[in-house]
Amino acid sequence: MGRGCTILIGLLLVASLSGCGYNDLQGLDEDTKAAWSEVVNQYQRRADLIPNLVATVKGYAAHEKDTLEGVVQARAQATGIQVTPEMLKDPVAFEQFQKAQAGLTSALGRLIAVAENYPNLKADQNFRDLQSQLEGTENRITVARKRYIDRVAEYNKMVRYFPTSLTAKLLLHMEEKPNFTVADEKAVAKPPEVKFN
Amino acid sequence: MDAIRMSRVWREPARLIVFVGILFSPLQALALEVPPLTERIVDLAHVLPPRDFDQLTAQLKTHEEKTGNQVAVLILPSLEGEPLEEYSHRVATTWKLGQKGTDNGVLLLIALEERKLRIEVGYGLEGTLTDLRSAHIIRNEIVPRFKAGDIPAGVRAGTEAILKTIEGTYQAQESPSDRIKPGQETSGLQYVIIGIIVGFLAGIVLSQGLRKTRALLGSILTFMVAQLASIPLGLVAAGFTAFLLWMVLSANSGRRRGTGPSDWTWYSSRGGGWSGGSFDSGGFSGGGGDFGGGGASGDW
Repeated sequence: MGRGCTILIGLLLVASLSGCGYNDLQGLDEDTKAAWSEVVNQYQRRADLIPNLVATVKGYAAHEKDTLEGVVQARAQATGIQVTPEMLKDPVAFEQFQKAQAGLTSALGRLIAVAENYPNLKADQNFRDLQSQLEGTENRITVARKRYIDRVAEYNKMVRYFPTSLTAKLLLHMEEKPNFTVADEKAVAKPPEVKFN
Repeated sequence: MDAIRMSRVWREPARLIVFVGILFSPLQALALEVPPLTERIVDLAHVLPPRDFDQLTAQLKTHEEKTGNQVAVLILPSLEGEPLEEYSHRVATTWKLGQKGTDNGVLLLIALEERKLRIEVGYGLEGTLTDLRSAHIIRNEIVPRFKAGDIPAGVRAGTEAILKTIEGTYQAQESPSDRIKPGQETSGLQYVIIGIIVGFLAGIVLSQGLRKTRALLGSILTFMVAQLASIPLGLVAAGFTAFLLWMVLSANSGRRRGTGPSDWTWYSSRGGGWSGGSFDSGGFSGGGGDFGGGGASGDW
């Protein structure tokens, strides 16, 4: 009977873990990581498009040096940041990543605006194709970011709400994860305008 | 006075419905609603002649039967200020076009007043119907016809180009409309079976039939109940089985708790009868596909 009781108590403890959100927390943690990978993936895709885009614009508007340089530099800055899963635990590194990507977004915006002044460039098939791809990627970034924001909000709620907060803080040492801020969200939510005329 | 006003309100059901609608859905009043997915082509602007509509619908249906790809068209009179990309993604994910797992859905959305259109591509088709290919279809197939004022021709040409592009990406495995239901039923059934096992063990424990194994069974039971706790169906099955077994076993051994209220049995069995009913509207419905923002937009 005594041994049976010990087993019973032991199993009860294990069972109570799933009641305290242990599994849910682990699951949400994985979800946020997956959503984050998607964000990084899409940003990487955008970075990969840029060398071609810059080369094409140079062919028509080589003297727009400042704008072109701005894009190249912003890209170097964005891709220079080592992206790791640990970044999600470090608000400073996260902020840095977000700032670099926002910088690239605005540099690209300027480049597209400059391109408007060159009818030959605008008519170039290659440029139009790159622009479509860039636009598509920006849209994917928006979607990926939105998904990340939703997942992190869900995760953060669990980390802060009462019974699960004990499991998160004492047992798993989980902290709240940083999220994208609204100001930056506004800047990215506006995909560059493309007109097919 | 109040009574008179009330009756006047009741006499105008339309106004009442609007009033109640505003009361209960402040958010929906702000955002343009996603129209219900009734057919493969939802033409809210009524620009497609019936012949084109039928022909295209049949084409889309044949394509889905062959490949499993779900392609839908939505023609709106206006976006009502809603950003095109955001709204299009919302429609596509609400409709859940494409099959679950392969995410092979495509939405062609056209907003007449804004003269904007978008091809929204599901995750699983992004490799074949790339952003670039979507942009080309819009630019070369659809926009020239739209500019010439022939909306139906543009929709036809665009849809055909989309179908041709994604042909052969996937093979339909079974009748697409049957694909989700069996999965849902099996998982429901699984929980019922686990529930019955748990209930069986619980019944033995409760009836105190086997003293030595009781503690061990009890502990296994607790663990399983904890796993099951989130699925009401399994719990109902467990409770029902446990109760039945308890009644039978305690009656047989003639030991304690002889007061088994008979209406409880009736209540439980009624609860146990509730099992995964599927609500199939009979019309066209999405297969559970997801969208990640792929595709292209354009205007004319």
